[in-house]
Amino acid sequence: MAYSAEISRVNPTCFVFLVDQSASMNDPIGGDTPQRKADVVADAINRLLTELSVKCAKEEGVRDYFHVAVIGYGASVGSAYAGVLAGRDLVPLSEVADNPARVEERVKKVPDGAGGLVETTTRFPVWMDPVANAGTPMGRALQYAESLVSKWLVDHPGCFPPIVLNLTDGEATDGDPDAAAAGIRAHASADGAALLFNLHVSAGTADPVTFPDTETNLPDAYAKTLFGMSSVLPTDMRSYAATQGFSVSDATRGFVYNADIASIVQFLDIGTRATDLR
Amino acid sequence: MWAYVSTLSVPKDGATAEECEDAAVVVPEIPSDEPTDGPVSVAVADGASESLLARPWARLLVDSTVEAVRAKPEVLHSEAGFARVVLGAVDDWDVWLADYVAERERDDRPIKWYEQPGLERGAYATLLAFHLTDVGLWHAAALGDSCLFQVRADSLLRAFPVETAVALGTSPALLNSRNRDDGLIASNAGVAGGDYEEGDQFFLGTDALAHWFLTEVEQDDCPWEVLRDLSAAGSVEDFAKWVAVERAGGRMKNDDVTLVHVDLG
Repeated sequence: MAYSAEISRVNPTCFVFLVDQSASMNDPIGGDTPQRKADVVADAINRLLTELSVKCAKEEGVRDYFHVAVIGYGASVGSAYAGVLAGRDLVPLSEVADNPARVEERVKKVPDGAGGLVETTTRFPVWMDPVANAGTPMGRALQYAESLVSKWLVDHPGCFPPIVLNLTDGEATDGDPDAAAAGIRAHASADGAALLFNLHVSAGTADPVTFPDTETNLPDAYAKTLFGMSSVLPTDMRSYAATQGFSVSDATRGFVYNADIASIVQFLDIGTRATDLR
Repeated sequence: MWAYVSTLSVPKDGATAEECEDAAVVVPEIPSDEPTDGPVSVAVADGASESLLARPWARLLVDSTVEAVRAKPEVLHSEAGFARVVLGAVDDWDVWLADYVAERERDDRPIKWYEQPGLERGAYATLLAFHLTDVGLWHAAALGDSCLFQVRADSLLRAFPVETAVALGTSPALLNSRNRDDGLIASNAGVAGGDYEEGDQFFLGTDALAHWFLTEVEQDDCPWEVLRDLSAAGSVEDFAKWVAVERAGGRMKNDDVTLVHVDLG
C-alpha cells in the first residue's frame, strides 16, 4: 500500500518548506486579528519546525526521522534559515533542533482552570525571520524544491514520499505555477508520489478553510489555483485527521486558507502515538 | 504445577538494545531451563515511541506492578485494583523523574527546549499484568495492546485484551506517567481470568508479536509452535533472526518485540 513506508532513522524522509517572501507579504491577512502575512508564515515555519522537533525528541536528542529545508522566495530563491544554518538546504532534524537562530520568550494565554485565561511565557525557537520584498518567483521556488526532492529520492528510493509545503499569498509573478507543482508531484519513491501541500495566507475576509475536498467554496482564483496544486491527503494521514475532528473525504487535499497548518505534522506516523485516555 | 518461563526481546530494526522501549519482568527470576513450582507473576509494558522517557517508564511500570501483584495478587481481580497498582507506579515515577532531571543538571546536560513539552505531557506505555496461582487459576489485567494468549491442546483458548489482528492499530490506550485519574484508568482497563491445566501454554507479547500471532491464528496456522521452539532454545540470537525473517517477509511490523512464554508442559 502506498504511503505506508516506515519513517525512521534508517529510512528518513524529507520536508521542504517554501516561504513566500515577496513584497505583497507586507499586507495583512484578513480576519479579526490582522497580522502581516510575512509574520504569519514566519511564525508558521517556526511552529512547524518546533512541532517536528518535539515530535521526534527522545531523551538522547532529536532523532533524524526527517531532513528539513526552509526555502525562501522573493528577491531570490534559497535557504531562509537564519543563524548557523544560514545558506543550507536539507538539514537533519537533530541539527535543526539544536540550532535555532535564537529562542524567544513569548507570552501566551492558557486556560486557568476556572473558565478564564492566564498569561504564561513559553520558549519559542526561531529559525527564520519575516522578510517581504520584491516579486513572487513561485515557479522558480517550486523548481528548486523539485531539485531537492529529486536528489533526495536518488539516495532514499524507499522512503515515505517527500513532502513539500508551500506557504504563500498565491500571487506568483513568474507565471502559472501549475506545471512546476506537477513537476514535484511527478517524483516518487517506491512508496508513492511526492506530496505538495499549500498554506494560503490571504487579505481576503472569507472564513478560514482547512483541508477542503472541493474548490467550490474557496474565495478567489489564487486559492483555487493553490488548491488545484495540492496533493490529496494519503489514506493514513486522512484517517488521523478524521480522528482529530477534521471533516475529510477521499478528495481531501493538503490545503488550508488563512488557518493553522502545523497540525499536518501530527498526521505523520513515526510510531506509537502518545495519546491520552478518554 | 511446574512451569518453565522464558523471556525474549529484540529492538526494532535500526535501534539499539538500549533503545528498546519494551519491558518485561518475571518473578520468581529463574533461568529458562529450570522449572518453578510456585506462583508466577509477569508484567509486560510497551513504551510509546512518540513519548519521551518511554523506556524507563515501561521499566518502572513492570517492576512496580509485579511487586504489587506479589504482595497482593487480588489486585488483578478488578479494574479498580489494577488502577490502584498504576497509581503506585505514578507515585514512584515522580521520584524517579526528579532524580533524572537533577542528574541531567549535574551532568551539564539540562533539559532542552524540545524535551520540555514531552516531559510536561509525561511518558506513555501499555501494561499487561499476569499472575499464575498455585491452585490452578490465572488472572490478568491490561491497558493497551500488549497481549496474553492461552493455548491448550494445540488451539487458542483465550486472547486478552485484544482478540483480532485488525484491532491492533497505532493508537492503543496508554498509561500516562502523570495520570492520577484511577476512574479513567479503570474504565480503560480490562481484567481476565481462568483455569489452567498441565500442558497449557501462555504467551505474553507486545503488539508487533501479538499482531503476528493473531494473523497466523486467523489463517488457521499454529503460531505457538514456533514460539514454543524459540523459547525452549532460549537464544536471543535465534529469536532475533526469526523476527528479522518475519519482518523482511512483511509479516511482522518493525517494532520492538517482546515475548514471555510460560510453559506448563
